[in-house]
Amino acid sequence: MGGIRTAGDLVSRMVMKGMRLSAAKEYVADKLHCSVLDLSDTFAMKEIRESLDIGTVLDRKGASNGMEAKFNIEKVLGIEIPSVTQFKKKTGLL
Amino acid sequence: MSEFFTRLGDGAAVMMSKEDIRYDVEDGTADAADRGQIPELAKEEVDYLVEILTMPQKNVSVKRGHEGIMTFDAGTLKLPVRAGIPVDRLATLMIHERILCSDTMELCTTDYSYKSIKNFVQEEAMTMELAQNNCVMPIFYGAMPNLGQYTKPDGPIDNWSELLPMGKIAEAREAQEEAVEHAVSDMVFITGQMAEAGACGIQFDTVGASGDADVLAALMAAKELKKRFPNIGIEMGMAGEFNLGMHGQLEFEGERIAGAYPHQQVKMAEKAGVDIFGCVVNTNSNQTFAWNLARALTYAKACVAAAEIPVVVDAGMGVGGVTNTNTTPTDVTSRVSKALLEIAKVDGL
Amino acid sequence: MTKEEYIKAAIDSMIKGDEKLAVSVMNDAIADGVDAAELLSEGFSAGIREVGDQFGRGRMFLPELMLAADAMKAVSAIVEEEISKKGGTAEKKGTMVLATVQGDVHDIGKGIVASLIKTQGVKVIDLGRDVPAADIVEKAVECGADLIGTSALLTTTMGEMKVLEELLKEKGLKNKFKTLVGGAPVTERFAKRIGADAYGEDASQAVAEVARLLS
Repeated sequence: MGGIRTAGDLVSRMVMKGMRLSAAKEYVADKLHCSVLDLSDTFAMKEIRESLDIGTVLDRKGASNGMEAKFNIEKVLGIEIPSVTQFKKKTGLL
Repeated sequence: MSEFFTRLGDGAAVMMSKEDIRYDVEDGTADAADRGQIPELAKEEVDYLVEILTMPQKNVSVKRGHEGIMTFDAGTLKLPVRAGIPVDRLATLMIHERILCSDTMELCTTDYSYKSIKNFVQEEAMTMELAQNNCVMPIFYGAMPNLGQYTKPDGPIDNWSELLPMGKIAEAREAQEEAVEHAVSDMVFITGQMAEAGACGIQFDTVGASGDADVLAALMAAKELKKRFPNIGIEMGMAGEFNLGMHGQLEFEGERIAGAYPHQQVKMAEKAGVDIFGCVVNTNSNQTFAWNLARALTYAKACVAAAEIPVVVDAGMGVGGVTNTNTTPTDVTSRVSKALLEIAKVDGL
Repeated sequence: MTKEEYIKAAIDSMIKGDEKLAVSVMNDAIADGVDAAELLSEGFSAGIREVGDQFGRGRMFLPELMLAADAMKAVSAIVEEEISKKGGTAEKKGTMVLATVQGDVHDIGKGIVASLIKTQGVKVIDLGRDVPAADIVEKAVECGADLIGTSALLTTTMGEMKVLEELLKEKGLKNKFKTLVGGAPVTERFAKRIGADAYGEDASQAVAEVARLLS
């Protein structure tokens, strides 16, 4: 789908939960308040990803990256990401 | 009569008429339907596949909105090992995320067998933790059950491939059953360690490469892993379009494993708690690309129809209709991707 | 029983992988005056081809294939004995050296090919997997083989088959041994390109090609 250039990573996270592709796309589009077609549009997704601070291909000063971005993805998608949980446990956030 | 550029199963270029391409498509789907006892592709699907195969463009693409997700097997083997690029695995993951724009990626080691990883699983877990701190996309950990590694001289068990030709059927079966126990124990231990290190998913890859016992071991390990880590995504990719019966009598939850085709394999995977099923159809080097792709689509379509979980089709060299050559031609891979997503309606590749 | 009924029983014994039944069918047929060699080719061989086909479709499994192969060996021995009793000589069968090429450790398919070729009365010397071309040639010379069969599952190892062909030419042995190649990435075109004498797409074709090369 285009990974973090688009919403490929986000849709994948839902597919990895056993959700079929079309349902996963609809779920993510709903959470991002965009259309399903926007999910594969690099222009639309750049703006959405930057505004939600969930990681982009080109790094920017002050922007979330790696684990930081995943903290935000957890909130946006309303799911638990195992590595984020582990991070929280290690740092006393949980 | 005009002719179209296409390929044979080994990748060799060939010119064929549209009628000959259609003949091979019809023959390929009939072959899969006969072997798998599943429906052939419908006439409109055959028509569309012929259209895809005869499109004048070198590379083709899916219609807007039909994009599927990508998962990888042998993920971090590709750049530092197979391509010989001097980058470590963490850099490989980030290259896939930031440059190649993969939807997901798999962390793996060079000896792609769970048994081998047992000795250095702590170091693998450390790499997974680093990867999770640095990557945005979901990261799997993956390897093969590879039951053959439990046989002498690599392991403690007699080799059933040697016992069978000697007519020692019972002994061969016992050896496989013993190997299953060892493999399940190793796989549950290793995947558990990776889950604790924050892996988003675990991949059991090329399941069935050592026969039906190999499949049983992976299913049992997946079931136990899911019980312990319900939040982890489990992907199971198969070794071929039917489970090879090296044992022949093994069952999972009351179903015989040997001889199961993708639409039956996926149901067993679901019962084991697998979240993504990797359907595999082997390419026949002697047939045409058209024949192979039609055959792969027929199996994949039946698998998708039977499945309740997402189905991703292995579309690499020698599988999924892709020609059997290391440098897979993009005219082939792009047509395979388009056909699998648009005709078989798979969830990804 | 008529000849046709014996043929049907022979096929059935192969599908069941029942050596006792196969031997009994063959002995009864000989006692009833049925030509043993004809029953072998029209009945038992047809039966084992059916078993091979069912195996290739995932409807029969390796243990059953091996049982059928054992049954086939037993009836082949009876036929040879019968021919020699009548003062004839059994058809020349020959010796084959078989190996998975260097760098390749896949040998399930090769094992199946070896088992089926043995059922035809051919002596098969299986050198195993990851075998260098030089070792294959050395063994073939040592045992006076008629055929050399090689298998490769990887596109990266199939080139070893060419190495073998070149080694045979270099040593002046190309006309001494017939070569047969097979494995998933190998094709008839590849076999021709490297100068191999035959190609087997699957175990059944390998058996047929071995018979052709030895005739």
